[in-house]
Amino acid sequence: MGQAQSGQNPGFPDQQGQGEKKEEKKKKWEPPAPPPRVGRKQRRRGQGAELGSKLPGITPNAKCKLRMLKLERVKDWLLMEEEFVQNQERLRPQEERNEEDRSKVEDLRGSPLTVGTLEEIIDENHAIVSSSVGPEYYVSILSFVDKTQLEPGCSVLLHNKVLAVVGILQDEADPMVSVMKVEKAPLESYADVGGLEQQITEIKEAVELPLTHPELYEDIGIKPPKGVILYGEPGTGKTLLAKAVAHSTSATFLRVVGSELIQKYLGDGPKLVRELFRVADDLAPSIVFIDEIDAIGTKRYESQSGGEREIQRTMLELLNQMDGFDSMGDVKVIMATNRIESLDPALIRPGRIDRKIEFPLPDTKTKRRIFNIHTSKMTLAPDVNLEEFIMAKDDLSGADIKAACTEAGLLALRERRMRVTHADFKKAKEKVLYKKKEGVPEGLYL
Amino acid sequence: MVQDSKTVGADKDKQADVKKLKPGAKKRKGEEDKDADLSEEDLELKRNLELLIERIKDSNEGVQKNALQALSQEIRSATTSMTSVPKPLKFLMKHYESMKTSYDAMPKSPNKQQFADIISILAISSGKKGERESLKFRLEGSEEPLSSWGNEYVRNLAGEIAGEFQDRRENEASAADLLELVGQIVPYHMSHNAETEAVDLLLEVEELGWLEQYVDADNYRRTCLYLTSTSAYLPEPDDKTVLHTAFSIYIKVKAWPDAVVTALRLQDSERVEQAVAECGKDLDKDGVLEKQQLAYLLAQQGFPVDFREGKAAIPTRGDEDSEREELRDTLTEIGGNMRASSHYLSLARDLDVMEPKLPEEVYKAHLVEGRAPAGPAVDSARANLAATFVNAFVNAGFGTDKLVTPEPSAPSSDVVHWIFKNKDHGKAAATASLGMITLWDVQGGLPLLDKYLYSKDPQVMAGCLLGIGILCCGVQDEHDPAFALLYESIMKEDTTVRVGAILGLGLAYAGRQREEVGEVLAPLVTDESLPMEVVAHAALALGLVFVGTCHQNSVEAILQCLMMRSEADLYQPWGKFLCLGLGLLHLGKQMAIEATHEVVRTLDPNMAAYCGVVLETCAYAGTGDVLKIQQMLATAGEHIDVDDATPWKSHFQSPAVIGMALIAMSEDLGTSMAHRALEHLLRYGDPPVRRAVPLAVALLNVSNPDMTALDTLSRLSHDADSEVAQCAVLALGIVGAGTNNARLAGMLRGLSSYYYKEPTLLLLVRLAQGLVHLGKGLLTLAPARADGTLVSGVALAGILVVLHASLDMKALLAGKHSTLLYALTPAMRPRMLLTLDGEGQLLPVPVRVGQAVDVVAQAGRPKTITGFQTHTTPVLLNVGERAELATNKYIPLSAMLEGVVILKPNPEYVDLGE
Repeated sequence: MGQAQSGQNPGFPDQQGQGEKKEEKKKKWEPPAPPPRVGRKQRRRGQGAELGSKLPGITPNAKCKLRMLKLERVKDWLLMEEEFVQNQERLRPQEERNEEDRSKVEDLRGSPLTVGTLEEIIDENHAIVSSSVGPEYYVSILSFVDKTQLEPGCSVLLHNKVLAVVGILQDEADPMVSVMKVEKAPLESYADVGGLEQQITEIKEAVELPLTHPELYEDIGIKPPKGVILYGEPGTGKTLLAKAVAHSTSATFLRVVGSELIQKYLGDGPKLVRELFRVADDLAPSIVFIDEIDAIGTKRYESQSGGEREIQRTMLELLNQMDGFDSMGDVKVIMATNRIESLDPALIRPGRIDRKIEFPLPDTKTKRRIFNIHTSKMTLAPDVNLEEFIMAKDDLSGADIKAACTEAGLLALRERRMRVTHADFKKAKEKVLYKKKEGVPEGLYL
Repeated sequence: MVQDSKTVGADKDKQADVKKLKPGAKKRKGEEDKDADLSEEDLELKRNLELLIERIKDSNEGVQKNALQALSQEIRSATTSMTSVPKPLKFLMKHYESMKTSYDAMPKSPNKQQFADIISILAISSGKKGERESLKFRLEGSEEPLSSWGNEYVRNLAGEIAGEFQDRRENEASAADLLELVGQIVPYHMSHNAETEAVDLLLEVEELGWLEQYVDADNYRRTCLYLTSTSAYLPEPDDKTVLHTAFSIYIKVKAWPDAVVTALRLQDSERVEQAVAECGKDLDKDGVLEKQQLAYLLAQQGFPVDFREGKAAIPTRGDEDSEREELRDTLTEIGGNMRASSHYLSLARDLDVMEPKLPEEVYKAHLVEGRAPAGPAVDSARANLAATFVNAFVNAGFGTDKLVTPEPSAPSSDVVHWIFKNKDHGKAAATASLGMITLWDVQGGLPLLDKYLYSKDPQVMAGCLLGIGILCCGVQDEHDPAFALLYESIMKEDTTVRVGAILGLGLAYAGRQREEVGEVLAPLVTDESLPMEVVAHAALALGLVFVGTCHQNSVEAILQCLMMRSEADLYQPWGKFLCLGLGLLHLGKQMAIEATHEVVRTLDPNMAAYCGVVLETCAYAGTGDVLKIQQMLATAGEHIDVDDATPWKSHFQSPAVIGMALIAMSEDLGTSMAHRALEHLLRYGDPPVRRAVPLAVALLNVSNPDMTALDTLSRLSHDADSEVAQCAVLALGIVGAGTNNARLAGMLRGLSSYYYKEPTLLLLVRLAQGLVHLGKGLLTLAPARADGTLVSGVALAGILVVLHASLDMKALLAGKHSTLLYALTPAMRPRMLLTLDGEGQLLPVPVRVGQAVDVVAQAGRPKTITGFQTHTTPVLLNVGERAELATNKYIPLSAMLEGVVILKPNPEYVDLGE
């Protein structure tokens, strides 16, 4: 909202302040226009316009005494600041003065306020606004409005009569993006993943450790990977592993499905991608998980349909976000697909996706563990010999095994038995495999 | 310090994972199913290990021995990922306690020692925090080399040693066994790219001296870089120790320039001389060049070293003495900075900026938007004064200009010489500007000034004397003309002339510590019959000449003056300069001020407060001492009621603000944190505090036009309090000094039209414009060199004088004493990198210039600069920029590519025909 800081800031003498005395003394007083400071691009810099509002970065990242000393030094300074400000507040409470200023601002604003959209900024003190009812107005911007936060397209508060801009409504991120944030951690943990030890190690090294222990990478002198792609046959646990990552990390976890990024209107898809990464950056450290990336990440080709082209543009925006001019900082990307060969080579080149983690079909050892995981909560009859299924030469994925176990349980239920027998398992497995091998196209589960 | 191994952390995850799985499994099956989630190999490994543990408990020694060996084999061969504990350790974890009991039961034998080793390594993951069991068992174990157990183990051990050492020291127990272990760990670290950890460990056990023996040509750079950057953050005695160590390492590996820089940081003239004497001892061809390089370095720092007599002298030897005499001459010439002018001019020729500039070309009035200050100037005297200064600053050191150096074609013609177009002190400033224009060129400048030396106009004469001082600033001529010319005039009746001569002496011998000068000036300070103006200037000159030396006679003189003079004398702007003079004498001396401080406390309360603040902040300049900063912040935070009768009550707050910046300025961290504190001061402070804030910002960013600083200053330059605005405008000039920064120039042009009706502010805007184009952008005022680590006391003193003078802007800089602005001269130096060959001729080579990157404690050979561009020398360097050679053809004799650097051909260079 409009900041009431103009008391200290008489550089803009258009409205009030800036000793009218001077005005009287010298008739031809004409101050120059201060440099325009408008828009979000400058907002980041604008925040710095207050002397060093940000804490300085501490190098080196390696754990050493120097780092400790530097951190302690910063802490000392902050303690001194705290002490100083507290003392000052005690001596001269600012609250009252601020209260006075605020009520003055409230008076100027009037009530009720109209909400409008800022269309264009003409100069430092004037802008074109439109309200929902229709016409656009050329209005003035009051001096107490924080101009660094104004940018075309943002919502502003307008005076009810003269329609002058009197405040800003902080724009929130696209609600679409806020939905993507995983608020409740999924229940699956690493322990629920059978086998895949290699894959777990790789994903931990690439995604979790850079966020928790960046100094390890500096020690050895490498840049941590920016992203990983998980690929492999359907049902091999890609999404499961991503859930486990979300379960165990304290970083912000944003999850998207590739198809969500396809939007109805031109430009909405790329915009959503931009928003997604901006939110990720704001909430850093964060992990962005894009499932089924092949929905937007397929190879580019000459296409006639506008829809196709829009999807490709969405991917291009993704490419730019992952390795473009703006650095991603503490944002890690995980993608998952089962058709890595159809992805655009630019998407998975090193620098964007540094690690490609394959999820193969489980081998016997892994199968055994998967069976154990799924059957551990089932009541099994003593005659059940899981080894038989484990050693069989069928191409069973993790999901197949789960399906077989569930199927066996269902069969037992059908016969109102309390235990699942070996025969149930056999039948269930045949059923699962039968469905799989039947002439239906592969990957289609009926 | 070395942290607890991170594997422990990761391992807890795993444990947690395992635990989560357990309940489900437990329900149905018994204990044996706990291993269900283990693969077969793991199970086997686990059984194997359990078997080995059983065997260790066996009474047969042979069996024991085999088992122990097998166990250590298992542990060592286990490879691990970053994310988890090696498997053998994980499986052995639950046997840890039982192993300890069986260890205690074991009789003393070689086996027991080996067992101790194994327990020691297990303790990394199994031992409880704070018990330091790893260390305990290590001490009881065999003397096997540490390296066999891997890096993680050594790190962990180092961490425990540090803790144990602290405890033992508190209990005053002997730590000999620990030190022995340290003796093993340090070489291991040093040979494994972990210099920082070695240094950390030695710092903990206070045996930094050991470092020297393990350092070699490969790792000294990283080690010393770490040491020197750590010293800025260590408490008072430790920081010196660290630098001493770095110094001896540099001496050992014969990195002379680095050694000298370190010694200069220590303000240790004996060590400087030691380094100079030892460098190139046998005086072969390389040795001579190395000595010359050191002489250049010392000359730029303004540190006097005698090459003819004393420790650093070149020893005489009968047979080839003529050669040596020649070398002595050369070194003295270089060390006296007598080549400064010619180098500077060759830089200017190379960059093609020899053409003199008029003030109008700096103002660029045609670019001013809005209402330009057209028509007759509001105040022509001030406009002329501004033009004089701008002309002097812009053409500084070039030897020619278009205002003061050209002779009127005929003496009788109507054209009046520029000097005489001015009035009063304007004349003095104009005459003195001759010295600025011919800066460093003693031979060329003296004849120009000489003809005004016998002028009847006291102002012209004063200006001329001051000009001679400026001319000789930082240059040590053999004939020593400054003293000879200025000496007599000090005793002249006229105050103006005296002041000019005194300030001239101060500038000419700034930092030179010349006893004769002290003998002349000290009596002036104590003479009660003299006007305060003279006394204050004399104190200031003493401060400049003996900056940072605690020169006894000068200190006593100033103190005596402070005690004897009446309140009416002291409580005027000049009284503050007495304090500043005292402060400059103690610049960077830290604890050494105590005696002086005691005396100062006995003064009149207001004076004691003011003087105490100045003294303390100067003494702790650049140390980053947090306690002092806290004290200054508290001082600045006071709210004092003043009325017209007692304006001095709150005066001491302003130097406290400047002083806070002064203390924090040496390192990046303090600088940026100080900015934050200043923002608070701006918000809560009283007028005297707010006035000093822009000056403090200027001190933190000398010649470094940082965006945020500029934004803040530009905001303050429109402040309602006109004194804040005045300080902010001058601060803008200092922040941008010598950078030609276009953004800043535009900002100042805007201000010039904003304030075109305010003569004082307009004058200051003009001065700032002149400063921004200082030396046409070839000069800088930045007092720090060598990546900001080495602060030149003389330069800092010069800047401080101007900043303190700005506190009484109306009376001094914008009033009758604008000549004080020339105190910036000692801080002026070319911001160049000039490369010379062995003969002393310019040698153009390609160099990369870019933003400096902090590479302390980084692995490998990280890039030291970023965003670089390749140029050919000579090149200009901004604050925060670094250069590196872009060719292998030559080797620089100084690792710091700054100022003048001598190159020698690389014998291993192969021309690849690129």
